[in-house]
Amino acid sequence: MPHSQDTSSLLENLRMELRRGSLILAVLAGLRSEQYGYTLRKILSDLGMEIEEGTLYPLLRRLETQGLLLSEWREADKRNKRFYKLSPLGAEVLEKLLAEWKAIDSSLNQIVKG
Amino acid sequence: MPPLDRYLSNLAKLLPADQREDILRELSEDIHSEIDDKQSELGRPLTAAEQLELLKRRGNPLQVAAGYTDNKGTLAFGPQIIGPVLFPFYVRVLTFNLGLTFLIVGAIFAAISLAGQPIHFADLFSSVILQLFLQLTAVTLIFALVEKHLSRQPHDWSKEDFEKNLKAAMQSRIEKKIQSGPKEVSRFDSMAVLVAGSVALLWLQSLWTNQYLLFGPAASLISLAPIWRVVYLPTVFIMLVAIFRAGINIARPDWVRFRDVVSVILDAASLAIVYTLMFAHTWVVPADTAASTSQHIASVVNQWAPYSIFASAVIALAQAIHDLIRLYKNWRWHSAPQATSR
Repeated sequence: MPHSQDTSSLLENLRMELRRGSLILAVLAGLRSEQYGYTLRKILSDLGMEIEEGTLYPLLRRLETQGLLLSEWREADKRNKRFYKLSPLGAEVLEKLLAEWKAIDSSLNQIVKG
Repeated sequence: MPPLDRYLSNLAKLLPADQREDILRELSEDIHSEIDDKQSELGRPLTAAEQLELLKRRGNPLQVAAGYTDNKGTLAFGPQIIGPVLFPFYVRVLTFNLGLTFLIVGAIFAAISLAGQPIHFADLFSSVILQLFLQLTAVTLIFALVEKHLSRQPHDWSKEDFEKNLKAAMQSRIEKKIQSGPKEVSRFDSMAVLVAGSVALLWLQSLWTNQYLLFGPAASLISLAPIWRVVYLPTVFIMLVAIFRAGINIARPDWVRFRDVVSVILDAASLAIVYTLMFAHTWVVPADTAASTSQHIASVVNQWAPYSIFASAVIALAQAIHDLIRLYKNWRWHSAPQATSR
């Protein structure tokens, strides 16, 4: 029988894996309106989707490279900030991913209910 | 340097060069936004300790940088041994080391083959496997230690602790240096030079009458070229001075500077001899000028001799640099005001 510390560590790993898949969806959805990194992180955090800076910024870069996001440096509150928003391709992909998410959610609900 | 600048500077060294500026700019902005947020929440500026805490919470630079590194691989046997940031350097160093090693192994076997000796596949294979194992183990161990150090250090990273530890380490190093100073010349080393020098001198004396001592059975086919007569007396002189120096240092091991100065002078003289030999072109001549075998062997030896002389030059140069550094260090120690030592 696994030790309780092993169990909590295993649970944490599984939880992280589960969240990792949803993060992309959360970030894309969060960027339907233009945000810079810090405000996006706060919005997601306020809605219960904590994301570390070390995860968010590399992810934003990756999504931009894939053509799903657009970014530009602009001055706001007397400082230069990089603003991100969904690209047309990103909006299209987001819709498809949300449909997929809903389908998974519905299936899972049925499976869990037995 | 302010904590934030230092954090970003540590991070900068680990980021991919083509994105470095952009990433730093964005992260710097994010950190400033968070600081502003906290300050307006508290209604006062953040203290240095609070800023440090905020930076620590963001994780060590190695982990942060790893997020921006393309998946270039990691090395893990269970736990991760070398992370994605160091892995590309690890591969580069390993490739270079293995390439160089195999080049040397290849050159050695080529030389053996050119000398007409048979090469067995088992010998070649075992040499390659042995070198592969040694290089892989050594390089992996070094990189694993660096990874461990880098991963651990930034977690403990704090400006005050860092400065305190640095000062303590420097102080202890200085005190250690002051207390130890240059050691006396080891009597054992002096005795070794005396014995080895005397034996070498006797060997050198006998060489002219009996070249078998150098060439073995090939002495009937080849003999030393005239250039060796040119360097003979200076070589004997160098040996005599080295023996004399060792004799003096057996009696006076505290004459460290005497040993240092004489060693540097002898190094310079040895380099001059090696330099003379390098441009001689002919180092052995056929013992029997009429015999074609003698001529062939002399020609082969003359083709390979420059490599040995070049290797001797490298060793002599390294020794000279070592002795010069030793002279400089000991000289500085003697010149330093001794009042600070106690």
